[in-house]
Amino acid sequence: MTKRIGIGILALLISVSSAGAQSKAWDILREIVLVPGVSGHEGPVSTFIQGRLPAGLKAEHDGLANVWFTIGSGRPHILFVAHSDELGWTIDRITPEGRVRVKPGGGILPQTIEARLVLIHTSRGDVAGIVSPRPGYDERPTEGETQETTFTAESFDIYLGVATEAEVRALGVAEGDTITAKKTITDFAPGLMATRAVDDRAGCAALLDAALRLRPETIKGRTITFAWDVQEETGLFGASELAKTLKPDYVFAIDTFVSTDSPLESKRFGFLPVGKGAVVRAVDSSNVTPKPEILKVMAIAKKRLIPIQVGNSRGGNDGSVFLAGGAIDIPLSWPGSYAHSLIEKIDRRDLEALTNLILAVVSDWK
Amino acid sequence: MAHRITKTLRLAAALACIAATAGGADLKSVTKELFAVPSTTGNEEMLAAKIRALLPKGATVEEAGLGTIAVRLGGTPGPTLILGALDGYGHMVSGITPEGYLTLDRPVPPPHARFDAFLLGQPVVISTAKGPVQGVVSQPAIHLLTQERRRTQVEGFSLEIAYVDIGARSEKEARARGVELLDPVTYPALLTELAGDQWAGPSLGVKAAAAGLVSVLEALTGKAVGEETVLAWAAQTKFGARGRGARPAIGAARARSKWQPKRTIIVDVIAAGKGDGFPFPGGGPVLVQAKDESSALRRAVEAAAAAAGAPLQFLTAPDSPMALPFASPPAEVVTLALPVRFLNTPSEVVTLKDLEALCDILERFIQPGGAK
Repeated sequence: MTKRIGIGILALLISVSSAGAQSKAWDILREIVLVPGVSGHEGPVSTFIQGRLPAGLKAEHDGLANVWFTIGSGRPHILFVAHSDELGWTIDRITPEGRVRVKPGGGILPQTIEARLVLIHTSRGDVAGIVSPRPGYDERPTEGETQETTFTAESFDIYLGVATEAEVRALGVAEGDTITAKKTITDFAPGLMATRAVDDRAGCAALLDAALRLRPETIKGRTITFAWDVQEETGLFGASELAKTLKPDYVFAIDTFVSTDSPLESKRFGFLPVGKGAVVRAVDSSNVTPKPEILKVMAIAKKRLIPIQVGNSRGGNDGSVFLAGGAIDIPLSWPGSYAHSLIEKIDRRDLEALTNLILAVVSDWK
Repeated sequence: MAHRITKTLRLAAALACIAATAGGADLKSVTKELFAVPSTTGNEEMLAAKIRALLPKGATVEEAGLGTIAVRLGGTPGPTLILGALDGYGHMVSGITPEGYLTLDRPVPPPHARFDAFLLGQPVVISTAKGPVQGVVSQPAIHLLTQERRRTQVEGFSLEIAYVDIGARSEKEARARGVELLDPVTYPALLTELAGDQWAGPSLGVKAAAAGLVSVLEALTGKAVGEETVLAWAAQTKFGARGRGARPAIGAARARSKWQPKRTIIVDVIAAGKGDGFPFPGGGPVLVQAKDESSALRRAVEAAAAAAGAPLQFLTAPDSPMALPFASPPAEVVTLALPVRFLNTPSEVVTLKDLEALCDILERFIQPGGAK
């Protein structure tokens, strides 16, 4: 028993030796996940992040709402980047009948928001609405008639409780306003939850927590940049803008690992269980991480007793836009079930392992 | 036996959490309180307990079995029965996989073909004997979808592939959380206030109508009543009796046997705002009859509406399973239905002035001279 306690204390000491305090990533995540920030409209998220950065750090930002800070000097230059935008819609037009139509896209299965609550983020505050169920949803098709099965962003409209365009405008709603699904947090158990926008607010929270726990003396002759970029979901635009000025040697993109830890997915690949540790994305749709770099991360994690998994899955990452400039992209993640849904699932242990891994890389990466 | 114990425990938990809420409350707050209580066919005990707790002090509750409850208002011999429902449509736990996921079934057939499809990728609540357990209905990750899987798992989603994830890793772990077979599974009770004094939420229509009856009873406390009236909240109204021909709702059939009413007003919900818009949300309660002909009961309801200054809409439609048991002459029956937009979806929309009008009409109807 005494031996077990001793090992536990040792593990704790080793894992936090590069950190300044206990992780608050989980609490940060539960706050930041509720802040609206559809791609191209990340202002509130950027404000949230800047408002919580340590006072001594000199944060920079650009016109796109990318936020970053750099600390230390020398080589290598290591960039950590998480994206602050989330999936959602923008208003295309308002109909004479007082319904709101949205622009194509969204990135979420439209079937999962049919007859669901959404929030329209207007200049005067949030306005609640309901995505109208498809016409005839409760009717059986008559003989010879086929029921429409497709339900897309182009086809649905949003009901706000009013019946004219003028009434919609009187609520403050206008073309270009953004829309997000109404977020609720499902708490399966302490430290295990599901909600919308875990992708990539978990990455933002991990990076912010790491910034808060960062000990400058661990950087030692290297340059470290932490960045929260924008418009990842719509084409890595924020990262592309950063890549014009930042020329890192290594990029650690902090984003979801699309795990197949779910009853509906094939376990042929991507089966990294939720709750079993941070993740190195060895291969995704935008990058193949060099094996020696994977081994370096694994060695650091092992030394620090940080639980870690390696796998391949789908989806891109912001680090990939720095490849052409000569950087090596090493995406770090947590295993996330139900990616791009209203119920993205995450385990606190994975998030804290990820934060500890970021700090360990800051300290130990050569 | 085990199921009965589970239900008793669940009821005890419900009673414990509502003990402090008894007393007269307004229509909006009663609606909010009932809305928060899950109630599906066969699992109405928590909602019935909540209604009991909200009834005026001194009200004597009568029962018709299966969970149906009622309160009688004295008056000249009758009775007139005003019958609402306790149960909404929902799902229940039908199994637990070795990996700890829950499978689902329904206690009754769905109200429409897409009813189950709304579950895809949604949060749900399992009402267990140990209290509510939160879960989500699994969905495929969009990054991993092939065209074939999109067709079968998204567009073709059904209960066959509906798995509820409660964060458990084994059947044992799921059971340790309190989950048992037959536990009701519903959407979280998230009430949203829309513009135009409209509220939205899952199963809101039936809860609002039930709240209306509580509110009517509260309003009439201490006042004179015309004819003896039984206000009842029936369990198992979505369950049709088996046999040839029309299938009356079990809960309604039992209410008829129990109270033998001379005339009956069914307080129900009706899909509104579809197609040409009729019945219109905001246009007042809908008086539904099987035949478009006058009757003493219809005239009395119309007169009560006029006296209350409340709008009414009229619809001729076949008797619903709720109305069927009362449809044999000389007894009279009409349905007074609350218009609900997006009925039987996770976001039913109720216009508050329709609900208020429903209450005003019933209150006036019950008062002296109202039922004549």
